[in-house]
Formats: sequence, structure tokens, C-alpha cells
Amino acid sequence: MADFREQSKLEAAILALKAAGIDADDMDVFSEEPVEFRRGILDRPSRMSLVAVLGAITTGGLATAGVFAAQHNYRLITGGMPVFSFWGTGVITYETTMLGSVLATFGWFLWESGLLRKRDHNIPVPTVLPGVMCLRVRCSDPHVTRVRQILDSAGATDTVRKEVA
Amino acid sequence: MATSAPELPYAKIREDLFRPLSGGSARYWITICAALSIVILGLVAWSIQVRDGMGVTGLNRPVFWGFYIVDFVFWIGISHAGTLISAILRLTDAAWRKPVTRAAEAITVFCLMIGGMFPIIHLGRSWLFYWLIPYPNPRLLWPNFRSPLLWDLVAILTYVTGSVIYLYLPLIPDMAQLGEHNVPWRRRLYRILSLGWTGSDREWHALERAMKLMACIILAIAVSVHTVVSWDFAMSIAPMWHSTIFGPYFVVGAIFSGIAALLLVMGTLRRALGLELYLTKHHFNNLSKLLLLMSLLWFYFTFAEYQTVWYGNEPSEMAVFASKIRGPYAPFFWTMVFCNFVVPFILLGIKKLRTITTAMIASVCVLIGMWLERYLIVAPTLGNPRMTSAAGVYVPTWIEFAITAATFSGMIVLYLLFSKLFPIIAVWEFKPHPVEEE
Amino acid sequence: MEHRWGMSIDLDRCTGCEACVVACHAENNLPVSSPEQAEKGRTAHWIRVDRYYEGEFPDVKVKYRPVLCQQCDNAPCEPVCPTYATYHNPEGLNVQVYNRCVGTFYCANNCPYTVRFFNWFAPEWPEPLQLQHNPDVAIRPAGVMEKCTFCVQRIHRGKRDAAEENRPLSDGEIQPACVQSCPAEAMAFGDLNDPESKVSKLAGSGRSTLLMGELGTKPKVFYLERAK
Repeated sequence: MADFREQSKLEAAILALKAAGIDADDMDVFSEEPVEFRRGILDRPSRMSLVAVLGAITTGGLATAGVFAAQHNYRLITGGMPVFSFWGTGVITYETTMLGSVLATFGWFLWESGLLRKRDHNIPVPTVLPGVMCLRVRCSDPHVTRVRQILDSAGATDTVRKEVA
Repeated sequence: MATSAPELPYAKIREDLFRPLSGGSARYWITICAALSIVILGLVAWSIQVRDGMGVTGLNRPVFWGFYIVDFVFWIGISHAGTLISAILRLTDAAWRKPVTRAAEAITVFCLMIGGMFPIIHLGRSWLFYWLIPYPNPRLLWPNFRSPLLWDLVAILTYVTGSVIYLYLPLIPDMAQLGEHNVPWRRRLYRILSLGWTGSDREWHALERAMKLMACIILAIAVSVHTVVSWDFAMSIAPMWHSTIFGPYFVVGAIFSGIAALLLVMGTLRRALGLELYLTKHHFNNLSKLLLLMSLLWFYFTFAEYQTVWYGNEPSEMAVFASKIRGPYAPFFWTMVFCNFVVPFILLGIKKLRTITTAMIASVCVLIGMWLERYLIVAPTLGNPRMTSAAGVYVPTWIEFAITAATFSGMIVLYLLFSKLFPIIAVWEFKPHPVEEE
Repeated sequence: MEHRWGMSIDLDRCTGCEACVVACHAENNLPVSSPEQAEKGRTAHWIRVDRYYEGEFPDVKVKYRPVLCQQCDNAPCEPVCPTYATYHNPEGLNVQVYNRCVGTFYCANNCPYTVRFFNWFAPEWPEPLQLQHNPDVAIRPAGVMEKCTFCVQRIHRGKRDAAEENRPLSDGEIQPACVQSCPAEAMAFGDLNDPESKVSKLAGSGRSTLLMGELGTKPKVFYLERAK
């Protein structure tokens, strides 16, 4: 784990590590506010939009079907007064579609961010100091010296090595 | 114009924004106690209403809807503050929104919670409100999905869910930072609520994506919610309610009152929490310009609506129109026009007069004016029904005043509690990126 | 064939005596209001007589119009009730189900005839009126909307009697309290699906008008008045 105070140095380090063969998935940057990387440095592909749309369609569809079925199967004997309403059902479709997208976005956020996934408590999490970006690299034993070299030459401060079982 | 962020030292920002969270001044405790006592008064009033019947209010035939529906529309309207500021400004990447978003989102959530109480409070048999919820039951009964009140239910539930999530998401990183708080129960609270946020770039990335999506969605929801609320009136055939303009009219009015509420809250927070460096003249200037814009839009819609009615000269509509312009409701009507249009136009339109104080004054006027606008939509139409033999006048009682006052106090209580538990400015959004320090 | 209940009121015969109002109160257990409540506009008169004055003294003409629930075939009150407490039954009546009403007031706001009434308090009757309750009619609790039902309890009794005696209903056999009590015999009640019934004939006559018929509510109370 290494602390950086300047984004340009951090980006250089990441690029160098990638060139040395470390996978982007093994690298994590910890900071108190989001760091805006340029494209191609530490991209994390996201499926959130797709999930949101899918959630919207599912929830909207289910709710519409439910409301439709309830109205059509309602055993109220009316003297011709319609029980089903196209436009009314339409409003409910719209709202539940929106609700579905909200819930899907939130749920997927919890999953994608890793907040709700099972955590591996052996992997150390750095305490982030204000103004500092901490880069954590996971690698196996033989690569450690090379990684250390890259980090130091990129201008990292406070590099720490932690053993994980 | 840049915000003052780069000029402030990093540590100072952190300290300033987290300081209100520990301890409370005497002023704070006095305010919260006073507000709570009014809330209790409102609860007492409501329990009297539930025990004795709706007759303890001023409602009658033909004015079957009164203060409660006015309050309902008013509070749901104000809830559009957060949506506009947070969502639209987030989507347009306006940097000046940063210190303002959380305050706005909090307003939204609390206003929705309060506004959502009124469909229950106004019921003749409040304890049976759950019959409007479609749930399977042994009597095989379902609610009527043709009724605009059902659409209200779905829309407001959706909006509440959306805004709570929209408020919660950006709170997570701040709560993670507060995990080191000195008070133990608070530490536990923040740790649990922040879900183990570590600040990794994966988490940040997911958060930013989620916020962008939520901004679009919440915008779509907000427009639809107040349109659906307006359809409670527009879908009926009562004179001067059955108007197609109500949908957009209500949305515009909601955004208008929402910005006024936000201005008021921001001005109060600025003084109470000492946030002069963060909520600057620049922010108030921009919000004031927005308020002025909405005032003009509101005037346009109102003018169009009344002009159409007047020119059509339809007898049952003209009865309502006359009662508003010249009749018993005239004082309220002209006060509303003065508060909603004249005051903002003068105070905010003339650059020299546009200060933080005048913005606050204009906001208070707008809030009064918008409440009156809702009142003028409900009472005159109901008081002048098509059958003139059934005309009536609405005189509210102390019960309705107490419950209305209790909702305003309730808002204050909720907001005070919120400001003590969570930083009112989104710290992670506001703090400058470390690289700017060089 | 299904019945379709309708009513005709002859405005040229109506004297404005309000016997119909009193009869309705007696038949349907209508609550009695106090003077203070009446001043606030909270009396319930399922049928009321509206007076319209024309001209100046001494050439004043008064017109009376008894107004009751029009049992509209296209009722504006029906779609807006969120719990189906008011809906249309197969015999054309706009039915109010007291048990299901939660008191949203929407139906009353949407009724253009303002014929709906709310129970603002639990109903009370000064002594000895409480001894005169009709056991066939429910007493409505506080918080529930009510209105004219075309004396549905009398309709049920009439149909049951006819079924027990194995005979068809005859025209004029079922009479709501107001129709029964009118001394000028200005009101008629019957089956609109029966072309021979008095109501059908009167409804089809040249004097038949609808109250605010242009709204499209399709009311089933036909007001007979001389064409002007």
C-alpha cells in the first residue's frame, strides 16, 4: 500500500504497474473524495444502466399485470360501470416503472460497489488520511520487489507492505 | 465564478462542516423544544378529530376539502426543491450546487414525509386508510385504480422511496468519515449506516454512476408526482378545477415554492451554523435568479388560466372566478399575486436589491403566496358549486390551524435533528480534489 | 329483465311543501342537526327543495325543485372513490356502501348536484325521535358519506314480497318515502325498462327535462315542466 499526494504521480504509478503485468482488478485506490481518472487508467466497467432499465421494465410490467388482473377479475357487480381503466393503469405503470429503476439502481449499487458482498477480512483496508490517495496493490510474493520499485520511483510516500495469508 | 473552495485550507473545510455535529447550543435546544411542543399540540388536535369526528374541523357541505388538502399539496410541492437543485444541477454539471444539494435533498425527504401524512389526516375514518393499498385479503376486495387518489398513493410512495435513496447514497461516504465520532452510539450508527464504506475507487465509481442515474430518474418521478397530485383536482368536473393546465401549473408551482423553501433553509443554516464561507453570495444570487425565473413562469401560467376562464364566461366558472377576484376570497387572491409576483420581481429583479436578506424576505413571501394559491384552488371552487343553492363558506377551526402549525414545526424538528446527525453540506462533494492543492 | 329504477318529479305540481323531505328523514334515519351545525352548513337532507325566485315584489314567482341523488348512469362520483364505496349496481342505482367508505370526500366534490352528505359526528336524535328509527335502514357512523338511495330498502322489500308471492312486480308497488308522501302526487317512481310504467311514459313525454343534463351524467330523475 502506498500513499500519494498528487494525482499525476498516482496515474503514472498505475500505468507503470499495468505495464509490469499487474491486473487492474488487483489495484484499488482509497481516498476521502472521488478521484477523477482519465480514461484508460483505471476503468471499471459498469452494468448499472442496464440493470436499472431491466429493473424498471420488470417492476413496471409486474405491477401493470397485477393491476390489470385485479381490475379484470374483480367480482364487483357493476351495472355497466367500467372497473378497468386504461389511462389509470397507465399512470400506475409509469410510476412503478420509475420505482423499479430506483430500486434496481440502488440494489446494483450496493452489489457493484462491493458494500454488500462478502468481504475478505484478511485483506487490509488502509485508513485514509485527508488529502491522501492510497493505492493498494495485491500481488504474489515474487512481484513484490518490482512493485515496490515502481511505487517508489513514482514518488509514493509511506509505502507499506502487509502479508496476507 | 468559482466557489471559494480552493481558497480554503483542506482541514478547515473538514472541521467547519463536521463541527455542528457535536453538542448543541442553548438556541438549538430551545428551538427544538418549542417546535416539539407545537407538534404535540397538533397531535392532540388530531386525536380530538379522530375521537369526535370531522365535525371538529371547519369543513362542511359543500367545502369538503380544506386546510388538509391545501397543506398536502403545499408540502408535496415544496418537496420539489431537492429534485430541482440536486438532480437538474447535477445533470447540467453546475458546480455551485455542491454545498446546497444535501440541504435540498433533506428538504425533499422531510416534506414528502410530512405531506404524505395528510392523505391520512384528512380522512373521515383515518384508521382505515390502508384500504387504499392493494393487498390480497379474504374479502377479495381491491381498491379502485381509476381513482386519482390511488395514483397519488403510487406516485408518492415511489417518490418517497426515490428521494430517501437519493439522500442516503451521497451520505454514505460522509458517514464513513464520521465513523470516528467521539459519541459511542453515534459511532455505531454511522458505522452501520455507512455499510462498511472504505473509499475505494470501485465504490466511488459505483456511487457516481448510481447518482447520475438517480438524478435522471428522480427528475422523471418528480414531474409525474406533482402532475398526478394536480389530477386530484383536474380529473373532477368541478368548475375551475377541470382544467388541462393543472399538470404543468402544479409542477411549476412546486418548483417555485421548493426553491423558496430551499433559500429560506439555506439562509437560516448559514447564520445558525456559521457557514458564511460555504454558502456564499454567489449561491444565493443564483438561487434568487432561479426564484425570479419561476416567479415569472408561475405568473404566466396563472395569467393564462384566469384569462381563459374570464374570456370563456361560463356561468359556473365565473361564479368561482368572481369570488376569487372580487368576492370573499379577493383579499387572499391579491395578497397571493403580490407575494408571488410583485415582491420577487422587485426584490430579485433589480440587481441592486438582490441580497441575501432580500432573498430570504422574498422566499418567505413566496411560501405564503404559494400556500394561499393552493388555498385559492381548493376553497372557492368547492364553495361555489354548480348548484348555487348549495353554496357555502369555509371557516377553519383551531384544529386545522393546530395541525397545519404542527407540520411546520415538525419540519423544523426533523431538520434540526438531521443537521445534528449528518453534515448539512456534502463534505466529500464539496472538498476540493487534493490535486488542486498544489 | 333487470329493473332500471327511475323517478319523475312534476315541477308544475310541486307546491314546495317539503313533505318529501320530512318523509325521507323519517324513513332513512337521517341524523338531526343542531342550529349551530346547520349554520355551518352541515345538515343532511337527502332530498331538498330548492327555491328560485323570479321578479320583484309584488310580481314574484317562486319555482320549486326537489333535488335528490340523480342516480346518474354516468355518475361522476363513482370513478373517483378509491375504495369502491360508491358504485353502480345492475339495477341502475348508484349505491353507497357505508362499510367501505373511508371518508376521502372525493365523491362529494365531484357531484355536480351536491347531493352527498357527510356524517361529521356520530348521529344523534333528540328524545323521543330515536324511538322512531327504521329498522331496515343502517345508522351511519361518523366519517362516512351518505346520500339518497331511492329507498333501496323498499325496493328490496318489494322485490322480495313479489318473489315470495310468485308474481311480477306491479308498477307503482314500490314507492320511496318521498314519492309516497307527496300530497300533490307530483312524484312517480318505477321501472324505466318497463315501457308501460308511469315513469317511462312521463320520462318520454314532451315535458321531461334533465337537471344539468348537458354535463352528460345521464341522471335518472326526470323533471317535468312546461316548455318555455
